[in-house]
Amino acid sequence: MDDNWGYVVAGYVITIAVLSAYGGWMWFRLRRARRADLDH
Amino acid sequence: MSTRVGVGTKILGAAAFVSLGALAVFALVVAPPDERQGDAQRLMYVHVPAAWLAYLAFFVTAVASVLWLVPRTRSTTWDLLAGASAEIGVVFTGLTLVLGSLWGRPTWGTWWEWDARVTTTAVLFFLYLGYLALRRTGATAQERGTRCAIAALIAFVDVPIVHFSVTWWETLHQEATVFNRDLDVQFEGFWMPFTLIFAVFAFTLLYAFLVMVRLRLAELDEGREERQLEEAIAERVAVTV
Repeated sequence: MDDNWGYVVAGYVITIAVLSAYGGWMWFRLRRARRADLDH
Repeated sequence: MSTRVGVGTKILGAAAFVSLGALAVFALVVAPPDERQGDAQRLMYVHVPAAWLAYLAFFVTAVASVLWLVPRTRSTTWDLLAGASAEIGVVFTGLTLVLGSLWGRPTWGTWWEWDARVTTTAVLFFLYLGYLALRRTGATAQERGTRCAIAALIAFVDVPIVHFSVTWWETLHQEATVFNRDLDVQFEGFWMPFTLIFAVFAFTLLYAFLVMVRLRLAELDEGREERQLEEAIAERVAVTV
């Protein structure tokens, strides 16, 4: 196996982590907005 | 105002999710390693589309800003779209820099180089970070919209500079490869170019999904702020009467 796989795996893990975190943050805010709308 | 995202957005999200899953298989399993760079070249399938998406996001921000500045087409939606797209652009510019650094270590022998492409991309990241900070400063919606639209158009000047930096200056970063027949770096076989084109397609779907959800959120935040302001005014009027 190529020595560079560590960099490749790190790159793909970081990409997935960043996109998941950003998507999760938006989902959380949408839920909060929905709750606020129901309370109103 | 409904807080739910539309069916179209959900379908787009599902399509982006499936495409990204397929991309992981193509990029990590199906596509062959590069003859010179080995497996490190597989980072291209996320680095290049992330950079493309950043360009696209900032282009949408610039167009939406122009539409806001023209009185005939002025609408809050353009201002909110500009902000939503810029935020996504910043996320992907940051990702481009990190992935480029990870790719640079095994191929250039360094995590960071003050080369023209890398430096102008870092400048782009901070310019739009500043733009997002500007969006949070206190002002009326009209003032904020105009101020931010002008800032977005100034920041967008850096996008062509980033793109052409590799031809204008001597850089460690290689020149544009896909449509450049003069370069000695060429794609091998079918799977390498196919995976790259597929990666750009998958990331574009993701951008469309993210921008629709982010715009929805921005509209909800805007609506809530207006409602709170109206309630505060009504409360004040009730006290004075």
